Amino acid sequence: MSAESIVASPKRRRRDEVRHIAWLWLGLTILLVLFSIWVPARLMGPPASPTMRAVESTMTVFSIAASPVAALVWAIAIYSLFRWKSRGEPTEDGPPFRGNGPVTASWAIVSSVLCVFLLIWGLAEMTSTTSPAEASNPLVVNVTGQQWVWTFSYPDQGDVESDQLYLPLNRPVVFHVSSRDVIHSFWVVQMGIKVDANPGVTTKTSVTPDKLGVFDIRCAELCGLRHADMETSAHVVNPADFAAWITQNGGHT
Amino acid sequence: MAGTAAVVLTGFVLTNAGATPGLLRATVNGTAATPQGVLPHAFLKLDTYPDSAAGPHGSDGGAHPDWVTYGPTSNLEVPAHSLVTITISQYDSGGTITNPYFAKAVGTVGGTIEVDGKTETEIDPDAVGHTFTIHALPTNQDPLFVSVPLPAVADDAPLVEGSDYAAPHVVTFSFITGGRGEYIWNCEYPCGDGYYAKFGGPMSTQGYMSGSLNVT
Amino acid sequence: MTAALVDQPVEPVSTAGGMLRRLNLVTAIAGGLILGLAGWLISHSLLQDDDLGSDQVVLVTLSCWAAGFMIGIGALNGPIGWALGRDLRHEDELFLAGKDQGVARYFRFTTDHKVVGIQYLVVTMVLFAFGGTLAMLIRTNLISPHSHFLNPQTYNAIVGLHGLIMIIATIIMVTGPFGNFIMPIMIGARDMAFPRLNALSLWLIVAAIPTILSAAVLGGIPTGWVGYAPLADQAPPGMDAYSVFIIIFAVSSAVAGANITTTVLTMRARGMSWNRTPIFVYGTVASVGLAIPAFPLFMASQVLLQVDRTQGGQFFVASGGGSPWLYSNLFWLMGHPEVYVILIPALAALMELTPVFSRRPLFSFNAAVISIAGIVGLSIMVWAHHMYASGWAPDLNGPFMLTTEMISVPTGLLFLVILGTVWRGRIWTTVPMMATYAMLWNFIIGGITGIYLSDVPADYALHGSMFVTAHFHYTLMGAGLTGAIGALAYWFPKMTGRMLNERAGYISFWFVQIGFNVTFLGMFAVGLAGQPRRVVTYAQLFAAGNFVSTIGAYSIGIGMLVLLYAVINSWLHGQVAPANPWGAKTLEWTVPNPIPLENFEVLPVVTSDAYGYGEEDEPASGIDPEREPVLAGASADLGPRPVGASNVEGGP
Repeated sequence: MSAESIVASPKRRRRDEVRHIAWLWLGLTILLVLFSIWVPARLMGPPASPTMRAVESTMTVFSIAASPVAALVWAIAIYSLFRWKSRGEPTEDGPPFRGNGPVTASWAIVSSVLCVFLLIWGLAEMTSTTSPAEASNPLVVNVTGQQWVWTFSYPDQGDVESDQLYLPLNRPVVFHVSSRDVIHSFWVVQMGIKVDANPGVTTKTSVTPDKLGVFDIRCAELCGLRHADMETSAHVVNPADFAAWITQNGGHT
Repeated sequence: MAGTAAVVLTGFVLTNAGATPGLLRATVNGTAATPQGVLPHAFLKLDTYPDSAAGPHGSDGGAHPDWVTYGPTSNLEVPAHSLVTITISQYDSGGTITNPYFAKAVGTVGGTIEVDGKTETEIDPDAVGHTFTIHALPTNQDPLFVSVPLPAVADDAPLVEGSDYAAPHVVTFSFITGGRGEYIWNCEYPCGDGYYAKFGGPMSTQGYMSGSLNVT
Repeated sequence: MTAALVDQPVEPVSTAGGMLRRLNLVTAIAGGLILGLAGWLISHSLLQDDDLGSDQVVLVTLSCWAAGFMIGIGALNGPIGWALGRDLRHEDELFLAGKDQGVARYFRFTTDHKVVGIQYLVVTMVLFAFGGTLAMLIRTNLISPHSHFLNPQTYNAIVGLHGLIMIIATIIMVTGPFGNFIMPIMIGARDMAFPRLNALSLWLIVAAIPTILSAAVLGGIPTGWVGYAPLADQAPPGMDAYSVFIIIFAVSSAVAGANITTTVLTMRARGMSWNRTPIFVYGTVASVGLAIPAFPLFMASQVLLQVDRTQGGQFFVASGGGSPWLYSNLFWLMGHPEVYVILIPALAALMELTPVFSRRPLFSFNAAVISIAGIVGLSIMVWAHHMYASGWAPDLNGPFMLTTEMISVPTGLLFLVILGTVWRGRIWTTVPMMATYAMLWNFIIGGITGIYLSDVPADYALHGSMFVTAHFHYTLMGAGLTGAIGALAYWFPKMTGRMLNERAGYISFWFVQIGFNVTFLGMFAVGLAGQPRRVVTYAQLFAAGNFVSTIGAYSIGIGMLVLLYAVINSWLHGQVAPANPWGAKTLEWTVPNPIPLENFEVLPVVTSDAYGYGEEDEPASGIDPEREPVLAGASADLGPRPVGASNVEGGP
């Protein structure tokens, strides 16, 4: 198959090849963009905080941005496998060109531009997801990890203690996280926050829960025998219910 | 090489099998009135020992005679939708617990425990022997979080005649099970002496200070 | 067995090799057992071997085992001889190189780089077999949320061992077998610069393997392969086995790194300037060169850990003034360069074989070299992206995000190099070439998912989840191991003199690649949904994804068994290979099968690079008309040749 076409006008053949690859590229890009829009964020589940919403849009945007890159690589690869395949051992060599300066340069420039885009996006996202909670009258929760349970205390509410996390809706929270023994990692899955619980130091993370419901807190750092079972629930409730829960547990608001 | 691999794999199989101790089933005896209506009433009796001479590890103490251990086994089974009453005889000494939260009774009926016949909601966090703390993946089954502190036996308590141990503290508590599920329990008082944070050795080994609790 | 060898009829009165004539793997194991037992008895009686003393006893025993093994294999004979002022005679050196010893030389302290290469290949395959079996156990346990196939202790131990064994196997899988066997011939050398160091690096690994396997019966490594302190301070004596293993491995990799680097710097054939040096050589040097600064840090972390565990040190104990972050920094200062130690030579092998099977010059050789250099340079400045969520220096997360994302630029260029090479080529879809295509597929996925993880907020959501596990399997296995399998299929005819069974190769390829994608796409899904890594049970939500992953893993297992069968069967009974079955142009294909002891009778002189496919001074056909073995150095026989070694001159 390839033997005949090689003989025909090489210029035209080259144009055809580029056109075919361009179509294949376009098709794959569309498929991947659709995948990017529908799949990654959906797999992460409904977000329970602006932070998680930002993370999910990052996943979607990065996937879309990566789609033409992956599509180009796969388009050329797939095309070469079908169009330039030799039946058995090749009886002749391919064209001897050893590079193409403009192509290499544009490849490097485009990937650098993409890289700069990723960086700027990431920095902007970092600022937007960390600053709000620090700003205004946050609820402080001390989180203690120990082998293999989490406990929470509310220092400004009369040191109420609990093995489950209760948070009022729409109020910024700052978590002061530490560990009694080994390294754990405090992860509120649907809120998109995670920070290690280290012995001897306190680490911080913050979030503003904006969805009512029960969410998952998991340990994300292997911490020994019962690491898999080191899970508990985060309950996001209306402020009035939160106040009631605090009072019921002997605290004050 | 293949021989070594086979030996090591066999080692894994043996440790895997060896760490699954005998099962202790709660005995159901009548029914009880609970805040959730009249439920079957199941009973379990456990012990905690300062070493492995009296636990489930054989009279010679097994591989680690000096490890603290629960007894008679760590593999427990209780009925679903029941009132479960557990009595633990605690023979070990202790000290200050790292997290005072676990010096309180959590998740028991009425939030109380009975310590040597007296009803309490918490014990002295500076004299904790062990805890019995049940939890699990909350998403797979009805949530169940029960934590009960067990007071320490004083270091200078006299030995009971004919026994290697002083008289135990007896702690009784009840909780209500939901549907079927697989839970685990462990001790939250760091008592693995000689290990970092006292949480290695017996604390990190099934069959000593940690085990399973199946609700069936 | 030893006696029989001594009485070889070839040289009945020879005393070449001296004491080394009587030393082999059997005496090494005996030496290791004797010294190990002695170490155990002494430390056991001096230290109280209760639960507090057992760490010291394990440390002493395993160290003694390794020392005894190295003495028993004869690693110290050379240095002791020099210390006593004795140097080797020529026949001693020939004996050391394994001359006329048949299969026995593979079980000795043999210096011939080809023997060492084969030994590395076998060691790598043994490690993969073991690590793969553990992977099957892990996946079987995860087939359902509460499978109870493994209890949590065993599960944690297996997860740690699987990780560590696979990391070590992937580190040595390319630079070990092919860097030692192929690379010296590829640059036109008769052996490595330091042949005895070569044997030393290999036998150190062999000595270390039993120490890591012993962890299985010493309570396991419950920390994952990272060995994070202070969990490692708390762990059972299996952790001591881990430390001993890492310390020995670090010495081995330093020795191998110095050796390979020196060889390439000083022993390239005349005329092999840097722009004529094959890209695989660059990949090998980049890999071992990167390992030289990386592994001592890992070794240091283990020395500190042993001070903590056995001497009451507090390096990683916060309450004693130590810091767990010290460990994680030391670890990742090794850990991130290490992934490129694994990846670069595998990609370089694929870049080496892609021109051969495309019949095209390597596209933009300079871009390939610059990319490798760029990756090496950047890879030592990205380690803390593993620690975004650790709480250590949050202000540095931005800078580390920058360096991490910058790596995508040189990595992207490597894709261009391969795509440009297949562009309008004559694609010969052999198993090695299929590996290139599989890499293009897998590594794009691995690379893009790495970009999500480089983004700090996204990493907060994904760190420690199965998403990370899937990501690095896509890079280290989907690209790295796939590249190593491609390299094996490519160089198998040269290393064994026989062709790898192609049919079995294809069957294995599809089972492995399809299974791989099923396994790890499923793992991405559960990772995005929030399943943590290294868990023995998991939420019901993740059940479907895990089931799919396990089925995929079984497919990988089947494919790998087929590959194992193909390798063993072809090695023993395969079709005899011509000297240059693929029509390749690098120097290793100019030497005959079986390769003579010192490779080249006369050292070649190189006048062009090895990628001149389709160029004017070539025969019209891309196929070498003289496919039969040719003696390199017989310049009259060669003429202008497509081997990159035209005008081979006589004379040393």
